[in-house]
Amino acid sequence: MNYGPLLFLGILFTLAGSWFGLVLLPNQQLGALQPNVNTNTGAIYPQPIPGEAAQGREIYRSLGCNYCHTQQVRPDGFGADIQRGWGKRRSVARDYIYQKPVMLGSSRTGPDLTNIGERQPSYDWHYTHLYNPQTTSKGSIMPPHAFLFRTQRIAPDGPSTNALKLSGEFAPAPGWEVVPTPEATQLVEYLRSLKSSVDIPEAPLPKSEE
Amino acid sequence: MSQPATPGVLAALSPRDADTSSSRRAELAEIDASTSGTVLLFFLAGMVWLLIGTAFALLASYKLHAPDFLSGQAWLTFGRIRTAHLNAVIFGFSAEVAVGVLLWLMCRLCRVPLMAQSVINAAAVFWNVGLTVGIVGILKGDTTGVEYLEMPKYATPILFVAFALIAVWTIVIFRFRREQHLYVSQWYLLAAVLWFPWLYSTAQLLLVLEPARGTVQAAVNWWFGHNVLGLWFTPIGLAAIYYFLPKVIGRPIHSYYLSVLGFWTLALFYNWNGFHHLVGGPFPAWMITISIVASVMMIIPVVSTAINHHFTMVGHFGKLKYSPTLRFIVFGAVSYTVSSLQGVLSSVRWFSEVAHFTHHTVAHAHWGMYAFFTMTMFGSMYYILPRITQREWPSERLISIHFWCTAVGIILYVAPLSWGGWLQGKAMLDATVPFIDVVKITLPWLKLRTLMGLLLAVGHVAFFANLVWILARRFGPYRQPEPMILAGVTPAAPVGK
Amino acid sequence: MGIISFILIGSSLVFPAVALWALWWAGRHGQLAHADKAALLPFDEQEPVGRMTDVVLNRPKASKASHPPQGGPVP
Repeated sequence: MNYGPLLFLGILFTLAGSWFGLVLLPNQQLGALQPNVNTNTGAIYPQPIPGEAAQGREIYRSLGCNYCHTQQVRPDGFGADIQRGWGKRRSVARDYIYQKPVMLGSSRTGPDLTNIGERQPSYDWHYTHLYNPQTTSKGSIMPPHAFLFRTQRIAPDGPSTNALKLSGEFAPAPGWEVVPTPEATQLVEYLRSLKSSVDIPEAPLPKSEE
Repeated sequence: MSQPATPGVLAALSPRDADTSSSRRAELAEIDASTSGTVLLFFLAGMVWLLIGTAFALLASYKLHAPDFLSGQAWLTFGRIRTAHLNAVIFGFSAEVAVGVLLWLMCRLCRVPLMAQSVINAAAVFWNVGLTVGIVGILKGDTTGVEYLEMPKYATPILFVAFALIAVWTIVIFRFRREQHLYVSQWYLLAAVLWFPWLYSTAQLLLVLEPARGTVQAAVNWWFGHNVLGLWFTPIGLAAIYYFLPKVIGRPIHSYYLSVLGFWTLALFYNWNGFHHLVGGPFPAWMITISIVASVMMIIPVVSTAINHHFTMVGHFGKLKYSPTLRFIVFGAVSYTVSSLQGVLSSVRWFSEVAHFTHHTVAHAHWGMYAFFTMTMFGSMYYILPRITQREWPSERLISIHFWCTAVGIILYVAPLSWGGWLQGKAMLDATVPFIDVVKITLPWLKLRTLMGLLLAVGHVAFFANLVWILARRFGPYRQPEPMILAGVTPAAPVGK
Repeated sequence: MGIISFILIGSSLVFPAVALWALWWAGRHGQLAHADKAALLPFDEQEPVGRMTDVVLNRPKASKASHPPQGGPVP
């Protein structure tokens, strides 16, 4: 097989196949998806997430959270995602149309976070968990993110309103408190915004959940 | 003064190329010499990145079972260190050594010296600058968040220029080849340099510069990510095996027709595999199914390649005792077969339901990129370096340490972790098992991985030491004896290769 | 879904047809002839078939047999 041009054409032709089938065609089918408007309530889903949460998303991205956490719920009957309470329905393409980048994740060193905002709405839980995952999940291998917080002296007029409720070995020295930095607040707002249990035509919620 | 040459194999092949053996030897010497500076640059840079990448790897692996370790700073957090590791070993070590091997093989097989080395050397410098900027950017937190494309926008154009220059130069070498007949390695090398820029530019455009909408990004991401492995690294690895295996043992490849089949079926099927990374994901079923089918079809090129390699080696396994190149290449070839079959299995829905999202995937990735690709590259460097430095390897002991540490280290990393990942997946499928208990199941396998990582690191340091030593000798006085490749040549034959 | 089915079915007919044509063309124009000879390209006079070319480790002593057995390492 010595003929250069034939080789060249064959090489380009073969990649053209998947460029067409795995890049172009999916873009045709999925690239123009619009949000769904609920015919009964008029609610629009999905919507771009608001400012603080959007900034929190950037922090999630920059810390590499998506290397341990997925954001995709597999269908009922394929995996135990729904049984584990990670979502009421499977994830579909429309869930991701406003996300840049889409962080589906490829590894579940930690649990799936698609609906963490529904599962865990508590600010306190998120702050203490981020500060040191051992506080809420003993034995967790998630790293502590103390660098998202500031340990400071308690002011003369009393502790800050957003000081973390830490106890035991995790509490700071007496007279000191741990408060979230703006980055921590943004990240928590982002996590609290992760909710997708909305009824849409291609993925209706199970009847009992509506 | 040389003896009259009997018509060599090549004279029989192409009567026009009626070179005498001495002029051909001198030509090969000229070609090897022309590539030496550039190839050395890529090998040395690649090895430095291997050491850096190994350090990141050890840190990341340790943090997974000791999460408090060095957790006080954002730039050291697992999510960034793991990413820095991946980019350093893929775009630093693997790709740079791959380019060194690619250039040396292409020049040798095309019988053309490397032209305008300064241009490719400049590309090497660009590459390393871009990569450094990119990895520092990742540690700073400027990652794009796109797997395999994490380096920020300010670094990647520099890299793209380097890749483009190398691709163009390789095509030019190919175009002006003096050897009209093509060897199988050349098909793979040409294919790799044509495919990679297309993959990289599409991915950068649709994922980073002008991101596509929603899940189309994930589609493009995994088309790109899988094809970096299948259409860039795999062809270069196979090109190396197809050349060095016959070359070292002195016996041609078992079946040329089988290698034609292997090449075209790889080209046809491999690039459709991408979506097997998305089984169960938010995509229409047809996309996932097409990739699963293509993944299963990969059995054809993998088995034909395995048959070819095996029947070429059969009867010659005794030679493993003498040649480090052969050891690493055979290890790589067997690992190619095993990891590819593991990949086929992983893409099937019933397997993916269990193993997806687990450490099994990480183990598989290392089975391919390390046990196959990296070991093949080590073997290639062991063959090429003495021939371009005109020196023998200074230390046989370091070679043995390198081989045994890496061979044992990688097998005891990827096989146990594959099993650990399977167990993790089974537990995850059982909703009655609390997630924290799923995590606990993985811990012994992760600790074993760290231990094996240390063994790999020892192997890498041993090779790096030998590499620096052989280079240091290059600048010293010319030394006897001649490199081992001239062993057995009669005194009347010309010196220099 | 209609246009996609059309494209998928159409292309899955066109692609293999072109591939088979290319295979026929290659056969017709001698691309696949003398394939065994092409397998000999890595070899030459000094490093012919039958001689191992990379004896680095466990080298046999020079004092041993002056002429190695065919196919074996060269002292």
